[in-house]
Amino acid sequence: MPLSPSGIADIAADTPAGAPSPGAVPDDVIIQTDNLWKIYEMGAERVAALRGVSLAIRRNEYVAIMGPSGSGKSTLMNLIGCLDSPTRGTYWLNHQLVSELDDDALATIRNFEIGFVFQTFNLLARATALHNVELPLVYAGVPAAERTQRAEEVLRKVDLFDRRLHRPNELSGGQRQRVAIARALINNPSIILADEPTGNLDSTTSADIMALLDRLWEQGNTIVLVTHEADIAEYAHRVIHIRDGMVARDERTRRGAAAPQVRE
Amino acid sequence: MHLRESIFVAFDTLWAHKLRSFLTLLGIIVSIWTLVAVVSLVQGVNGYVGQKIAGLGSNIISVRQYSIADETDQARFRIAQRRNNPITMAEFQYLRDHASLAAEVAARDGHTNGTVLKSGNHSMTDVQAIGVTANSIKLASFDVLAGRYFTSSDESRDNPVAFVGADVITQLFPGVNPIGQSLTLDGHEFQIIGEASVQGNVFGQSQDNFIEIPLGLYRAQYGSADSLQVDVQAPSAALLPALNDQIEVLMRSVRHLKYQDKDNFGLVGADSLMALFNQLTGVIATVMIGVAMVFLVVGGIVIMNIMLAAVSERTREVGIRKALGARRRDILMQFLVESAILSTVGGLLGIGLAWAFTLLAAAVTPLPFSLPWLAVIAALAISTAVGLFFGIYPAQKAAKLEPITALRAEA
Repeated sequence: MPLSPSGIADIAADTPAGAPSPGAVPDDVIIQTDNLWKIYEMGAERVAALRGVSLAIRRNEYVAIMGPSGSGKSTLMNLIGCLDSPTRGTYWLNHQLVSELDDDALATIRNFEIGFVFQTFNLLARATALHNVELPLVYAGVPAAERTQRAEEVLRKVDLFDRRLHRPNELSGGQRQRVAIARALINNPSIILADEPTGNLDSTTSADIMALLDRLWEQGNTIVLVTHEADIAEYAHRVIHIRDGMVARDERTRRGAAAPQVRE
Repeated sequence: MHLRESIFVAFDTLWAHKLRSFLTLLGIIVSIWTLVAVVSLVQGVNGYVGQKIAGLGSNIISVRQYSIADETDQARFRIAQRRNNPITMAEFQYLRDHASLAAEVAARDGHTNGTVLKSGNHSMTDVQAIGVTANSIKLASFDVLAGRYFTSSDESRDNPVAFVGADVITQLFPGVNPIGQSLTLDGHEFQIIGEASVQGNVFGQSQDNFIEIPLGLYRAQYGSADSLQVDVQAPSAALLPALNDQIEVLMRSVRHLKYQDKDNFGLVGADSLMALFNQLTGVIATVMIGVAMVFLVVGGIVIMNIMLAAVSERTREVGIRKALGARRRDILMQFLVESAILSTVGGLLGIGLAWAFTLLAAAVTPLPFSLPWLAVIAALAISTAVGLFFGIYPAQKAAKLEPITALRAEA
């Protein structure tokens, strides 16, 4: 059953802030945030980028987080991506309470649970496509031979096996983003977190990349897409609108209505 | 572990910025070069000198007017000049008669400046002229190549005969059998009775440029005011300390020194010469190593500086790595490995230069080639340690970067 804005409000009301229990997270919910706050201190001024965001995303959902710049969607993405810790509130990722972990513990979570796809690709310029894809496995402590084998496998999935020994500057924008997607996939993360994945691409290439994300969703991945473009958000099945650091709307898209809500 | 990743990145970066890396490493290169070259040269020189000093004769103690310590310290020398008396013939004879532990007691006196040797049209100046006792050959570092050495009757009758070094033969008697020929030393005629084997050079100074005559004749010709050098040989190295004590006691008694008086003569052995030399080279080495250490610190600071630059240049990279799961210690290690490898490469280049330098030194000087393994290993360890030490701060700075801040940095 889709979570309506009122449903989220119910969860927020039912859960006393700061005292959640693992039992509060249903089995198929991969992301659950309860009353998430992020307050930045800029000198004497305190700016609340997030003001109590509560949401739940289930396994194999395809969700877009939308909002204009300054809405707090980037902050929310950083929190979901475990790149930052909330000032207040709780965040459960794959049944682990991650909102109170320190930097190193978050690094491990990022390594195993999250596959990032960035607007600017964020590939290492001096490394080959293969090595870029291998990187998460390096930090996961996977032996070199297995790393290479798995990286080659994933590069095949994104049709870049032939270009595995090329460096990013020898690849087109779309190819670079496919390398980044392969890198995001390699450690079988719980979610793929794509931050404006088509922001630096032309419309044809954008369509290719979105088709690839579609395919990944079909293969069972959970995809969280952060964008400010409505037509990109249309690829998702559910759109969470963020405004002024709060969830403004949470709705199903046309595709979401047509597709099965969660694959069995 | 991902040490391989760190090493790979380190070499990749080093190679990507070849010129910058080289300039960064100059300090390390020069200091390691100096360090290894100095240690190698000092070892080479010490070995060389040790060999030559040992060649001067084994198990020998020389009784001289001044000790080595007196001669190498101006203040001490001034005091010794007032206190010490020249060694006289009478003292030599006393030692010869009473030194029961000695295998041989020989005496010599000599000088070099202003001597003139002539034979026919040929002449030489500044040849080392030495008066010796007949038993000196037993203490000498040369052999009799042709003819004979002095006999005791040459010594007691003051026969005008001479024993000469190879240089004298080649210059005064080219192509002629010199034995039985006569020559004049400062106007006095001598007949050559023997020729010494070639000894070669020590520090570029020929050891074959000498003429020996009986000691009595020498003292008659040049006066007897100068101090003799009495060389006393022990039958074995084991008896050397006992002989040293006996000679000291005999000299003190013949000079009527009271127990509280200091020696007013010098006892010089091969080991004291070697000790003096080691002390000299030790001072040189200490100074050079001190200079090298200063270079090393400067080199380390340069490395720290360039690593700080590298961290800010690669903030984005740190952000990416952190986003992909790198922990603080992973980033810390990456930059530490990088600075360690950087400085180790500098150390290797320095060792290479030192190696070339010692090879060159061996080719153009009489010094033997030596590149002590210990110095090479120590230099490598030191350069790596410098990189690690001066890399700590930049690496910590990188490790502490917040992932979001780092990711937002300009590439």
